[in-house]
Amino acid sequence: MKSRHISRRRFALMAGTAGAVPLGIVSLDLAGTEPLTAAAVVRRIQTALGGDWPSAGPDGFKAGDPSTVVKGIATTAMATMDVLQQAVQANTNLIVTYEPTFYSRADGAVDSPPGRGSAAGGNDPVIKAKREFIEKNGLVVFRLRDHWQARKENDRVTGLAGALGWRARAVSDKAGNGNAVYEIPAATAEATVAVIRSKLKLRAGLRVVGDRNAIIRRVLLIPGSMTATTLWLRYSEVDMIVAGEVREWENTHYAADIFTSGEKRALVTIGRVVSEDPGMAVCAEWLKTIVKEVPAKWIGVGDPYWRPA
Amino acid sequence: MTAREVVELIKKNASTPWNERSTRDTFKAGDPDVTVKGIATTMMVTFDMLKRANAAGMNMVITHEDTFWNDRDDTKDLARNPLFKLKTEYILKNDMVIWRDHDNMHASTPDYTVVGELRSAGIPVGTGGSDHVTMRPGILTIPETTLGELAAQVKRSSGARALRCVGDPTARVSKILVGPGYATPRMTPEVDVIIGGEQQEADGDFDNVEYVIDAVSLGMPKGVIMLGHVISEQAGMKDFGDWLRTFLHDIPIRFVPAEEPYW
Repeated sequence: MKSRHISRRRFALMAGTAGAVPLGIVSLDLAGTEPLTAAAVVRRIQTALGGDWPSAGPDGFKAGDPSTVVKGIATTAMATMDVLQQAVQANTNLIVTYEPTFYSRADGAVDSPPGRGSAAGGNDPVIKAKREFIEKNGLVVFRLRDHWQARKENDRVTGLAGALGWRARAVSDKAGNGNAVYEIPAATAEATVAVIRSKLKLRAGLRVVGDRNAIIRRVLLIPGSMTATTLWLRYSEVDMIVAGEVREWENTHYAADIFTSGEKRALVTIGRVVSEDPGMAVCAEWLKTIVKEVPAKWIGVGDPYWRPA
Repeated sequence: MTAREVVELIKKNASTPWNERSTRDTFKAGDPDVTVKGIATTMMVTFDMLKRANAAGMNMVITHEDTFWNDRDDTKDLARNPLFKLKTEYILKNDMVIWRDHDNMHASTPDYTVVGELRSAGIPVGTGGSDHVTMRPGILTIPETTLGELAAQVKRSSGARALRCVGDPTARVSKILVGPGYATPRMTPEVDVIIGGEQQEADGDFDNVEYVIDAVSLGMPKGVIMLGHVISEQAGMKDFGDWLRTFLHDIPIRFVPAEEPYW
């Protein structure tokens, strides 16, 4: 496993504290008798998931001190202030988040080159106040995206299927792997959407294009963002696709045209983060199998959208 | 007059020098040398819109957005796609021609998509009138209201069924920043409400949704109102058609809106 022995330099880069990381962390962890630090938990995650962990990738420490002793772990699709407050109340201080903490792909890195990603850095009042909250409460935030979604278990899909009550209904592909298609009790698109709305507690984030009277039996689940080519290739093999988000002038346009052409299908978008919520619940369960000293729990983000009457 | 000649007149009458390098602003389907019987302007040439344009006798469609479901209108992966075949055959069979005006429209003053977006949002442009509306009109100050009241007003004015809002409905707001389509602007400390079409929800250039959720949690009440891409840019294609009439006198011109796609 490539990541078993991460060099101190590589680790320091990952931690975003190059040159300043306490050299003691690695040897303390190897001794196995010292308190469990965030850095030690992350090394276990890296070892268990394997692969390379480049410092330029999205996965890594985003805030807090990696040498902090971990009381408990909270997993979440997005480390919002609300999630962080719940984490503190639950006596957890290592937050494992799938999406960024500081509002962009660049994740608030104050030293990101100008013009690349978000310009919002250390001087933005929201970022400043969030960092203060994290420091005051001794929290550590680690982003786990690329390596989590690379797992062959496909937890994001099975997690979403589980939240919808469909986990046992997976249609296996020829290789015997789950291919994210589920065969559910036949019902109209309208009735199926009502089930999705109620199971995932959706509000205005739920939007549907297509035929509301279509009979839905085969459903493809695409948590996160769906590309245009995925829709072109796979829409006609199922009755419904449930995706996190799409580009409206690309995928929504295609689904609208499919409807006009008379095909009886529906495309349901539920919101990117909501679609990723259940996968991070699976992540908490998985963490319990590699970290037994402290509790791990999932904190959901929920549908952030509302609509006036 | 041919479709090609119509486009040449548009270029000649444009408010700014025409950007010929745009790969978006090109003919997408049909024969550019076909005789134009009528022009339909629209935000997006959906199959449904195409049929209504044809029924109205308009064989040239000027669309702001794509024809073949991807921003570049790249068709190499669509050669065997049945829907692609259906849509292109419909266009050819009915002597229709599709031309897109996207990049040059956003570079123009006024940017008609934003003119329409402001009207849809029920926000008066101000003393300058709509003649000076650019793609980035800057911060607009409206009489102080709540986010909830503003959202209700925007829903009424735009007619958007699938409007999505984020933030505290009781927040007092007056500083508004609008942007068309996917060009939903970035929230900043000076702005109370962003009004846009659509945006990647997270892990993008700037994640307004999470920023606003957190700003509210931290006592800095703000909001986002997302109209949906079609609704945000739709209304202005009527104004664009009115502008076409100022130099195209002998061709019928009609605004044929794309339907809001969502239930």
